[in-house]
Amino acid sequence: MKTASVKPMQEIIRDGLWKDNPIFRQILGICSTLAVTNLVLNTFVMCTALTLVTALSCWTVSLLRSWTPRNIRMMVQTLIIAFYVIIVDVVLKAYWPDMSRSLGPYVGLIITNCIVMGRCEAFAGSNPPGPAFWDGFFNGLGYSAVLLGIAVIREGLGMGTFCGWPLPYFSTHWDKWIIMVMPPGGFFVLACVIWACRSIRPREVKK
Amino acid sequence: MNSRSFYAVGYMFLITAFFSTLIIGFARGTQTRVLANERLAFEKAVLTAFGNFSYKTDAEVNRLFQEHFAQNPEYGKAWVYKKDGVLAGFALPFEGKGFWAPIKGVAAVSPDGQKLLGLAFYEVNETPGLGARIVEPFFRRQFEGLRLRSQGLLLELKPEGTVLSEGQVHAISGATQTCVRLEAILNEQLKDWLDAMRREGRL
Repeated sequence: MKTASVKPMQEIIRDGLWKDNPIFRQILGICSTLAVTNLVLNTFVMCTALTLVTALSCWTVSLLRSWTPRNIRMMVQTLIIAFYVIIVDVVLKAYWPDMSRSLGPYVGLIITNCIVMGRCEAFAGSNPPGPAFWDGFFNGLGYSAVLLGIAVIREGLGMGTFCGWPLPYFSTHWDKWIIMVMPPGGFFVLACVIWACRSIRPREVKK
Repeated sequence: MNSRSFYAVGYMFLITAFFSTLIIGFARGTQTRVLANERLAFEKAVLTAFGNFSYKTDAEVNRLFQEHFAQNPEYGKAWVYKKDGVLAGFALPFEGKGFWAPIKGVAAVSPDGQKLLGLAFYEVNETPGLGARIVEPFFRRQFEGLRLRSQGLLLELKPEGTVLSEGQVHAISGATQTCVRLEAILNEQLKDWLDAMRREGRL
C-alpha cells in the first residue's frame, strides 16, 4: 500500500477545522447535523462519539493498510467503523442509559456517516497511523464545532435554554421559535452557517 | 480462485472474526449492566406512575419496587401494587409507535379499573420541547385520578383551552402528532387489558 508524503500537523489541524471542514466545506454528515442539533447536550455527546470513532477508525485503517487488499478495503473500513460505533453504543447503554435512549438510533447511524468513511478512504489508507489519527480527530472536531454552534442557536431560540438551563431573556421574554427545534429549523441554521463560513473564505478562486 | 482472491477472503474472514470476538466479549461484559439499566428505568416509571414513593438511590428504587409490586399471571402483563398487604392498583406497561420513535410507559390503574392513578414514561424520543414534554409533570399530573369512560374512547386528549369533560385531558400545543399517537396507544392497550380482566371476572 502506497504512503503519501506525510502532511504537516498544522496543515492537518487547519484542514480539519476550517479549510476542508466536513460540514460547511465538504457538506458531509448532514443527516446527523439536522437530527441531533436541537439540544446542546445531545449534540455534544454525538460529536464526542463521532470524533472518537473517526480518529480510532482512521488509526486502525492506517495500521492495517499494508495488509489490506485494495479490492476489499471498503468492506474492511466499514467493519472497523462498525466495530467502534458498536463499542460507543454499548458504553452509552451501559453507563449513560438516559443519553443512549435520547440519541436513539443516531449513534448507530455514525457507521453510515460519510465523514468517517471519507477520512479513512482519503487519508488513513495512505498515511501512517499517527497523522491518520489526528486527521480523523481534527475532522471530528471541525464537525463538532459547527454542530455545537448550530445546537446553541437552535436550543436557545427554540426553547430558551442552554443544556437545559434557562437563558436570561430567552427563557422569559423571548417568544420561543418552536420551528427551531423542529427539523426545518436545522435546515435554516445550517444554511446560514454554510453561507456565513463560505462568505469568510470562498473556495472558488475567480480566474 | 487465484492466490490473491484466497488471501482477500482469508483476510476478511480473520479480521471479521477478530473484531466480532472483541465486540461479543465487550457486550457480554456489560450485558448485566445494560439489562439492569433497562429494568431500573421501568421500575422508576412504575414508582413515578403511582406518585407516592420517594427515593434517592437506585437501590431504594429496587427495594420499593420489590416490596410493593409483583406480577401475577391472573392479571396478564400488569404488575399488582399492594399497600400494607391490600390491593391498591395495577401498573400496566404500554408501548407503541410515537411520532419519531417508540413510546414506552406505565399506566397506574385503580383496583376497580375505573380510574387512572397516574402515568409515567421510561422511553420517549419525541421532538425536544414539543412531543418530548409528555414526560413533564404538568402533563402527567392530568392523568392522576382521571375517570375512564365506560363507552367509546376511554380517554381523550383535547387541544389546550378546551373545556374538559369526563375522561379528557389537555394535549400539548405543537405536539399534536405525539398526542394523537399517545391517545391511541393508551386507549387500545388499556381497553384490551380492562376487557380481558372483566371477561375473566378479575375486576
